[in-house]
Amino acid sequence: MKNLKKYILSAAVLVAFMSCSSDDDNRVANNVTLEFSNTFNSTPIVLGAATSAEATVNTSDAGQVHHFSELKYVVSNIRLIKADGTEIPYNVNNLDTGATVVNQAKPETLSYVLSDIPVGDYTEIKFGLGVRSDLNTLDQVSFPTFYDNAGSNDTEMHWEWGTGYRFTKIEGFYDTDNKELSFHSGSTLEGDEENYTQGVDAYRDITLSLPATATVGNSAPTIAINADFDYLLSGNSHTVTLVSTEDITNNATPSAHTATEMMKFVENIGGNGTTDVTGMFSITSVEN
Amino acid sequence: MRPTSSRLFLLVSYYFFMKKLIRHIAIVLLITSCNNDDSELVSYSNPEVSLNIPSDFPELNSSFYTNIPTEFGVELGKKLFTDVRLSTDNTISCSSCHIQESAFADHNPKGIGIEGRIGLRNAPPVQNMAFMQFYNWDGNKLQLEDQPLVPIITHEEMDSSILEVIGKLETDPSYIELFNKAFEGEGITADGIYNSIAQYEYTLISANSKYDKVKRNEGETFTTSEAQGYAVFQDKCISCHSTELFTDQSFRNIGFPINPDPEEGGRTRITGLVEDYMRFRVPSLRNIEFTAPYGSFGQFATLEDVLNYLDTGVLEADNLDPILKDNNNRIPLSTQEKTDLIAFMKTLSDAEFLGFND
Repeated sequence: MKNLKKYILSAAVLVAFMSCSSDDDNRVANNVTLEFSNTFNSTPIVLGAATSAEATVNTSDAGQVHHFSELKYVVSNIRLIKADGTEIPYNVNNLDTGATVVNQAKPETLSYVLSDIPVGDYTEIKFGLGVRSDLNTLDQVSFPTFYDNAGSNDTEMHWEWGTGYRFTKIEGFYDTDNKELSFHSGSTLEGDEENYTQGVDAYRDITLSLPATATVGNSAPTIAINADFDYLLSGNSHTVTLVSTEDITNNATPSAHTATEMMKFVENIGGNGTTDVTGMFSITSVEN
Repeated sequence: MRPTSSRLFLLVSYYFFMKKLIRHIAIVLLITSCNNDDSELVSYSNPEVSLNIPSDFPELNSSFYTNIPTEFGVELGKKLFTDVRLSTDNTISCSSCHIQESAFADHNPKGIGIEGRIGLRNAPPVQNMAFMQFYNWDGNKLQLEDQPLVPIITHEEMDSSILEVIGKLETDPSYIELFNKAFEGEGITADGIYNSIAQYEYTLISANSKYDKVKRNEGETFTTSEAQGYAVFQDKCISCHSTELFTDQSFRNIGFPINPDPEEGGRTRITGLVEDYMRFRVPSLRNIEFTAPYGSFGQFATLEDVLNYLDTGVLEADNLDPILKDNNNRIPLSTQEKTDLIAFMKTLSDAEFLGFND
């Protein structure tokens, strides 16, 4: 009787084990989760109004204190790269399924799940800060979901006059008297896709090596990506001093839209596109 | 029990009958559906509109050739241009701010959208668009077909979306028919909206003013004051307001009072270049008599105000246009010259275009 019980138990265990391993054998893909954390240096950013006591305050290299009340950016064109160099694009031509707005005010947007990533060992991730110019047309017919998410009242990532998306939208306050700080970026390229005749390209391609291999298979890895907004004013490309005068040639008027200074901010947080391909981003951890 | 041969025959013939019937029905259905498709595709002829292109105007924007105005395209575009359903609350159409009697501009300093929302800049006239290489004050659009979406989605204008507009138009059979006629049975599409509005705007050509008739020797002559004004114009204005459009389509900072809205940067908003700060496209002078107020945000109520400002002196700026910079930041004008210039500018009014002859 005891033996019989044992047999049944071991048979059950065996069956359970076999079914497990047969699942494993069939698995061709799994999820990869991107976890975004937005910081000043290593301190997580807490948003706050002008006189908020809770808001995370940062000091720039130029000595200006500042904090944010709003912090949003678009991530798209995501690619995972295997150890052998194979690049796995994730819905890179579909903004509905391959792009997202990271919004510090909405915790659910800080986590973005890439589904059906082929089994493999991944050592690098690439993604775009902003939207590639060929997709940056506010095409609601082709991508209604992303269009609506980006354009909703609490997101406001449409750049209507340029019929493109806002790539970043930061509102906040600077100096001890809490003057308004407002930084929006977006591309203004016009002309044919192969031959743009005017405008600036604010899209930035980010490349980050993973500190540990992300193994997609049984495990569905989580890649923690840090965006250090200390770079906004104190980046690799420019040290920015915010000024509130009409002096447009001397550092940055913290107005959202004059665009004379926009590319300085873009290069600080998104890199210069050549020697700096990380900008403010880094990988904190990979968990398999 | 075996079926008798007659029973078997019946069964077999029934089978074949049904098979035939089904096939016939299928063929009939196929033909019917074909006919439906065909009737939408081929039964409308949609000829190109013949436009009177003035021979001495600048060359056409190349987009014109890929979206040549057709009879139904223009009819559709005109219908859309005046349709308030393009705005989210059905109160504003293109023609709310682009009024024919004002050369398709209006008389507000800055554009006014739904719920009285005030925009950034003065609504520009919609005239001779086919000959322009840049659109809007800062030249952000290079093709007219790219423009209609901007007011449709802008918060301070129509605050709608293209799918919302399409949804409304789809409830109107007259639109479905007109879209099919204009665009070969494609039905209501976003591109159909953009292209038809552009086609209509391409037809808005103003080239029949007194100035044009004088130039074409059609029996009209300038008064003394107009003729003197034309001479002053050629001396002091024509370097920017050149060509038969009376604009060289360049972008210049001429030191006009600056729009206090922090959104405003002029052309630099597009190029990011410091030298383009507060530069704006030189406006056409055609029908200028009817497009007050003047300036990128309607700074000047009258033409006299504009001329007085230029005469008195404009704002200093690093990138102030050299023509002004080299002349102590002003264009000196006597009282008589101003009077004559305005008399000349009024000869650029095109009564037919403005609908005054109707």
